[in-house]
Amino acid sequence: MKDLKIVMKLLMKERKDVFLSILFGFLAGAGAVALFANSGYLISQAAIASTLVVLTLSIALMKIFSVTRAVSRYGERYFSHRATFTKLSSLRVYFFERLEPLAPRVFNRYRSGDILARIVGDVESLQNFFLRVYYPPIVMVIVFLATITFTLFFSVYIALILAAGLFITGFLVPLLFALKQRKIQSELREMRGSLSAEAAEFFYGFRDLKLYQKLDEQEQQLGSVSNAYISEQEKNSLQALFSQSVNQMIALIISWFVLGAGAYLIAGGELDGIFLAMLVMISLTVFDTSTPMAAFPVHLEDSRRAASRLFSVVEEGESSGAEPGGGTTKHNLQEAPAVEMNNVSFSFPGEERKALKDINLHLPAGSKTAIVGPSGSGKSTLLQLLFKMYPEYEGEVRLNGRLVENLEDESIWAGINPVLQSNHFFYGTVKENLLLAKDDLSDEAMNDVLGKVKLSFSLDKQILEKGENLSGGEKQRLAIARAMLKGAKLWLLDEPTSSVDVLTERLIFDHLFEQGKDDTLVLISHRLTGLENMDKIIVMEQGRIIESGSYEDLMSRKGYFYEMKQIEKSVFA
Amino acid sequence: MKQLKEIARNKKKQMYLLLLLSVLTGAAVIAQAYYIVAIVDLIFLQGAPFQSIVSLMGVLAAVLAARAAFSYLNGRTGIKLASEVKADFRQSLLSKYRRNPVQASLKGQSGKKVSVLLDSVDEIDSYFSQYYPQMIQTSVVPLMILGAVFYYNWVSGLIMLITAPFIPLFFIIFGSAAQKKSEEQLEKLAAFSGKFLDILQGLSTLKLFGRARAQREAIRNSSLEYRDATMTVLKTAFLSSLMLEFISMLSIALIALEVGLRLVLYDQLTFFTAFFVLILAPEFYNSLKELGTAFHTGRGSTGAAAKVIEELEEKEQPVKWGNKQIEKRGAPPEIQLRNVGFSYGEGAFALKQVTGTIKPLTETAVVGRSGSGKSTLLHLLSGIAAPGEGDIVVNGETLSEYEEKSWFNELSYISQNPYLFSGTIAENIAVGVNETVTREEIERAADKAGISEMVAGLEKGYDTTVGEGGRGLSGGEKQRVALARAFLKKPSVILFDEPTAGLDLRTEQILQRSMKELAETSTVITVAHRLHTIRRADQILFLDNGLLAGRGTHDELMESVPEYRNMVAVQQGGDTG
Ligand SMILES: Nc1ncnc2c1ncn2[C@@H]1O[C@H](COP(=O)(O)OP(=O)(O)OP(=O)(O)O)[C@@H](O)[C@H]1O
Ligand SMILES: Nc1ncnc2c1ncn2[C@@H]1O[C@H](COP(=O)(O)OP(=O)(O)OP(=O)(O)O)[C@@H](O)[C@H]1O
Ligand SMILES: [Mg+2]
Ligand SMILES: [Mg+2]
Repeated sequence: MKDLKIVMKLLMKERKDVFLSILFGFLAGAGAVALFANSGYLISQAAIASTLVVLTLSIALMKIFSVTRAVSRYGERYFSHRATFTKLSSLRVYFFERLEPLAPRVFNRYRSGDILARIVGDVESLQNFFLRVYYPPIVMVIVFLATITFTLFFSVYIALILAAGLFITGFLVPLLFALKQRKIQSELREMRGSLSAEAAEFFYGFRDLKLYQKLDEQEQQLGSVSNAYISEQEKNSLQALFSQSVNQMIALIISWFVLGAGAYLIAGGELDGIFLAMLVMISLTVFDTSTPMAAFPVHLEDSRRAASRLFSVVEEGESSGAEPGGGTTKHNLQEAPAVEMNNVSFSFPGEERKALKDINLHLPAGSKTAIVGPSGSGKSTLLQLLFKMYPEYEGEVRLNGRLVENLEDESIWAGINPVLQSNHFFYGTVKENLLLAKDDLSDEAMNDVLGKVKLSFSLDKQILEKGENLSGGEKQRLAIARAMLKGAKLWLLDEPTSSVDVLTERLIFDHLFEQGKDDTLVLISHRLTGLENMDKIIVMEQGRIIESGSYEDLMSRKGYFYEMKQIEKSVFA
Repeated sequence: MKQLKEIARNKKKQMYLLLLLSVLTGAAVIAQAYYIVAIVDLIFLQGAPFQSIVSLMGVLAAVLAARAAFSYLNGRTGIKLASEVKADFRQSLLSKYRRNPVQASLKGQSGKKVSVLLDSVDEIDSYFSQYYPQMIQTSVVPLMILGAVFYYNWVSGLIMLITAPFIPLFFIIFGSAAQKKSEEQLEKLAAFSGKFLDILQGLSTLKLFGRARAQREAIRNSSLEYRDATMTVLKTAFLSSLMLEFISMLSIALIALEVGLRLVLYDQLTFFTAFFVLILAPEFYNSLKELGTAFHTGRGSTGAAAKVIEELEEKEQPVKWGNKQIEKRGAPPEIQLRNVGFSYGEGAFALKQVTGTIKPLTETAVVGRSGSGKSTLLHLLSGIAAPGEGDIVVNGETLSEYEEKSWFNELSYISQNPYLFSGTIAENIAVGVNETVTREEIERAADKAGISEMVAGLEKGYDTTVGEGGRGLSGGEKQRVALARAFLKKPSVILFDEPTAGLDLRTEQILQRSMKELAETSTVITVAHRLHTIRRADQILFLDNGLLAGRGTHDELMESVPEYRNMVAVQQGGDTG
């Protein structure tokens, strides 16, 4: 329920539209009732051959009512849908804003296809919350109150029957179905989510699925998830249809009672017969606003689930209390920063084991540092902390002596030229992907950098999703080009050239060190050749720094690094 | 895939059922009006006592119940029909996507395809759950009402007959644009999905480049665009309803006027007839109006179906396969490359004239600079792409003569960027084989890939979920999980694309040992940038910009290919000579 409150709060931003929807909804409902009441009355008047004046008046009224009804119905629909769809789009933005600070860790809990299903399907289904749950009951109650008040002038009994009808069709029946609904928990939204997640994976993992001959299996799997989803949809639709039909039947029966009671009262002389047709017509019409209420529980439940699915993803961010955007101090972007870590320990969210233990490191401004160590020793994790991707750790991380907690996230990122171990490219052109680095880059500058990393791409070359039409080394080189264009003073490079041949690698490093000669640079590498020129080499193992020092230091210490160098020598020999 | 109309027409059973229900509904509508009018007439005009209407009331109750029941059954038939059709459409899409060759599968955005698969197919629902049943009902019920009205009062009948055609005329005029607009709407939704999924994948990158905030704007715009597209569709629908409402209201008013006047002034009608007509008139126009509304949603569905059909009819050149089986000779097959060429398209990278023989149980290395076509060559050898020129010959037959399954059974291909599926580590390793395997076998494979120690340190061991929605792994760990797939399968031909890139020397050594063991029973073809790993290869293919620039052993290439020599020198820390 608290999730729906958020939705409601967002809805209240469209207050004017909400109000107009209710107003026009009332006018349309009341207009219809008046129209049919009037026509019933008209015909009865005509039957007892009353004056022409009454007739003409009735007919004039009838026209007014029909126009009111038609126009109001249009207004109601227009305003309610406008409010709804505006709300849906702000809901999407709201969701994305809260999701964004949670990257990348949110992907350890949710599959991207599932998140997609939430922002598309679940948000979309929330339209029913406003269109069928939120304002129609208000309209229904007002229309009924007006109608009942009107009928009171003619017969208390009929008014009571209508009131009972409102109670049954508007409240009792929906309540009964709500109780029933609660027992059969609908998994509709989850099913859609898993269909979407599986489908996304089917496309992303297509090549591997093909090679492992798992495509047929996966297709079947998707087919059966789809069928389950469809039959759940069917179940929900049938449920809604059934409850609506029941309510429709009850409404008809109420009209039947109105007719019976009216007939009885007239026979007993308590009611003028001229009103019977009118009362029957009223009753036949007024329930049009209440019969859809039977589907209320289906929609409410669906909306509740959709909202809770939506907000459960981003809840973590709310509860951790961390300010989105981090601190307020801006990081100085003009000069190369010194990087410092004091007694830093870190474990990934939900993990017992520490990925980093007692890290102490001091990299002066303008220094060049290499980090080496076995796979899984925590090298990339260390960079992640410098990127401030994980805000919770023990110890201190400082940039230029300032605690990163106090620095604004965006300004930290603005100060880094990053190359990740696995880089993302967006569907679009080479140019669009390079322009991520900085606005207003000239084509010349971009071509120049592409030349430096030995890529002969034209800027208009189309890049497919995830850079699938690039070779492994081309992706890395494009990522380096993007980092070079950014022109910040801190380079954090995670195995930037592991898939690049050594000749090209050497050329690229020449350019890179040339451009960054005054900058602070951290390079994770598995290749031990060429590290002689680094100011410092840090060796990591199992989350700890086990050695650090200059190349000569480490070689003379005859520790881990020395040993690796020996292995290297032996394999090269 | 056929158009929706045709599909509906072919569902004969449901069609007859809907027709029958419509006739029954029509009868109920008329009976309802008749009994209500009869009762009011008796009480109001003839002043009959209450007892005289009791039996009529009984019949009326039955009619009302029947009407509700018919409307339920009608809706139910439509809903069931919709489910059937949606399932068919989604199944056809899935099998179309499955048949796609790998090259084609890379095109387009995954999010868009997901959107077609989910949103567009779902959108088809309303054609069958709303439009079609309503269409049948409207082609029956108003006719019956018209008949009844004509029977009692032909003038009213005439008014109905004249005014009625305006309703379909209007909704067809308004609705004709609806299909295109709703296609646009779905297109916007698909574009949003495509973009959003891409953004999700690259969210870290966006943050690091300070673009996350700009993406909010992009998301906002994209979803506002979708809202506007939706509102455009709805606005025409609402406007069309407004027009229909006006027409039907005017017509009803006209009829009321007519019966009123004839009742009062000319005494040509009885109260019974007048009231009867007055109750039936709204039913008549309602039915037509509802068809108008349903017509709009139906158009939306047609638009969605057009989108799905367009996707289904996209022609792709599939990789050809035959039905020969790879002969089991106790040794891996011999593979020959005969002038193999391949191009990614006009003006794009092309591999040209690659010739060579890969003898059973030998180790072949593929070397070359980044972008020279090494991975492309492996794609061809694995059969996920077919050569444009020349032949790949396996045991004397071109590869395309064999059955796909038979070849894939012989093969493991650990690509440069293997995909980890969302599932446990054990499942991710077991993906490599088709038969069920024991935990021990998986553990042994993991051990050979040098990942067992790391897995042992995990709380849930091999049951830890990884991939999307699971625990993160380091780059090298992911790679080793993928490598374990090959160690589990022990195929006769193995293709490794840079198996040890991104691994430290020590881990690399463990893997080298395991790979050597594999090489005893398999032919191994490895792409490598780290040249020390392939020195002992039986032959090395050196690619240069898509051309085979050298072939031979390490020593031979050191002699004959200067660039190779350079690479080796640089790798050892020396200078380019
Ligand atoms: N998202 C995550 N959740 C939990 N554990 C993780 C996550 N990412 C990495 N780890 C674990 O943390 C440890 C350190 O990983 P990290 O990526 O820092 O290694 P690395 O030194 O960069 O290795 P490689 O050379 O293979 O890239 C590994 O054991 C890894 O399994
Ligand atoms: N799907 C594709 N569509 C179009 N071009 C492609 C596609 N895949 C690769 N290419 C292009 O083909 C060329 C060769 O790519 P390939 O992946 O074979 O190189 P590689 O030798 O493996 O390089 P690396 O060592 O960097 O992985 C590259 O220029 C690349 O851009
Ligand atoms: Mg790493
Ligand atoms: Mg490659």
